[in-house]
Amino acid sequence: MSKKKKLSRQQPAKGHHPHRSGPQTPHARRPMRKPVSRTPAWVAPVSVVGGLAVIVVAFLAIRYMTTPTVPPASRATTAQVISTITSLQASELEQVGEGSATKVLKKTSDQLLTSSDGKPLVFYFGAEYCPYCAAERWPLIIALSRFGTFTGLSTTTSSSTDVYPNTPTFTFHGATYTSSYITFQAVESTDRNGNALQNPSSAQQALVTKYDKADTIPFLDLGNKVVLLTPSYMPDLLAGKTWSDIATALTNPQSSESQAILGSANQLTAAICLLTSNQPSSVCTATIQAIETKL
Amino acid sequence: MHRDDPGDRDEAVTTKRYLRAAVVAASVIGLGVSIYLTFVHFSAAQLVCSASGTIDCERVLGSGYGVIAGTAVPTSAAGLAWFLIAGALALLRNRRAQVAWSVAGLLTVVYLVFVEIVQLGAICIWCTVAHAMVVVIFLLTVTVRDGDA
Repeated sequence: MSKKKKLSRQQPAKGHHPHRSGPQTPHARRPMRKPVSRTPAWVAPVSVVGGLAVIVVAFLAIRYMTTPTVPPASRATTAQVISTITSLQASELEQVGEGSATKVLKKTSDQLLTSSDGKPLVFYFGAEYCPYCAAERWPLIIALSRFGTFTGLSTTTSSSTDVYPNTPTFTFHGATYTSSYITFQAVESTDRNGNALQNPSSAQQALVTKYDKADTIPFLDLGNKVVLLTPSYMPDLLAGKTWSDIATALTNPQSSESQAILGSANQLTAAICLLTSNQPSSVCTATIQAIETKL
Repeated sequence: MHRDDPGDRDEAVTTKRYLRAAVVAASVIGLGVSIYLTFVHFSAAQLVCSASGTIDCERVLGSGYGVIAGTAVPTSAAGLAWFLIAGALALLRNRRAQVAWSVAGLLTVVYLVFVEIVQLGAICIWCTVAHAMVVVIFLLTVTVRDGDA
């Protein structure tokens, strides 16, 4: 045991610093530990940024998985829904009045725009992917159906990747409209996936250029007398609902769908009555004419 | 050069000064955005921002999350206060308070981004600039370590 102690004093164990066993001189430096390498400065910021990126991706995934999707409507359902919304009771529309629809129609002081057959022209410009167009088609179809008849309307939904995804609606692409009071022209520029569908004619493009300076859709020109540049209600009202759900809700004047959609339809009806000199009188009633004065 | 050398220390002090200046600059940018959004909220002026598609400031700021819950105070006013205090803490060189404040800011940003993406499905580009400034301030704060000067 003592032999071992003696040996350890004379021969320091492996790994011991030689300064400790050697004689200390006045100029000797303080003993130092081997410098420990610090974590590089970039590690913390990169970790934080990486962590935030993972969180954002997780949020996007949650949004994608929780977005309500609407099952496609069958041909019979589509026909039923269109029949319901185009034959709503006039008394119900009267009861709703302007409802909760936002006043988005703007009057202009321009000359009445007519089509080649001399009837006032109503021009719609939108796209199938656009959720705001999806929302606005409901009241527009209801209002136009009071002056004429649509054929060939079909159901679709707005884009699944845009805001208010999969908003249930209809498309004017492939539909025709006949009326003895007005002419209706519609351009759906792309389908719901953004693929090109229709291009506006030069005359239609001129209207867009003149009135829709911010280049937003939906754009609606009612005979150059009234224009619509923003939707009259938000598409989230229709989120997760089927066409049948909405059509059923529209038969109840107290429902939030009726208040927004029928309220907007009445405003559009009033704007059209402005173009037709309040014809037909069965549509351009005192209630509608009262709305007309507030446009 | 050894860590304890005066030259090394001077370099660290200079770096820390630049980082502090960067925090103040980020606070000023965030403050500017917050003042603009608060002004638009109270004056009903037209917001310079896209209003359709995924980038939709109106959708975000006009939602229930555009104001502090239960009040009429816009969320941007809270941002204004946060950037003001973040800039002041950087000037006062109170690192511990700075770290705590920037962590609180970062957690709030994560919540607001959750609201934008998951709840609303829309992004407010002005808010994103303010959020980016909070993240920058957080990164700069954690980059300045006690041993750096």
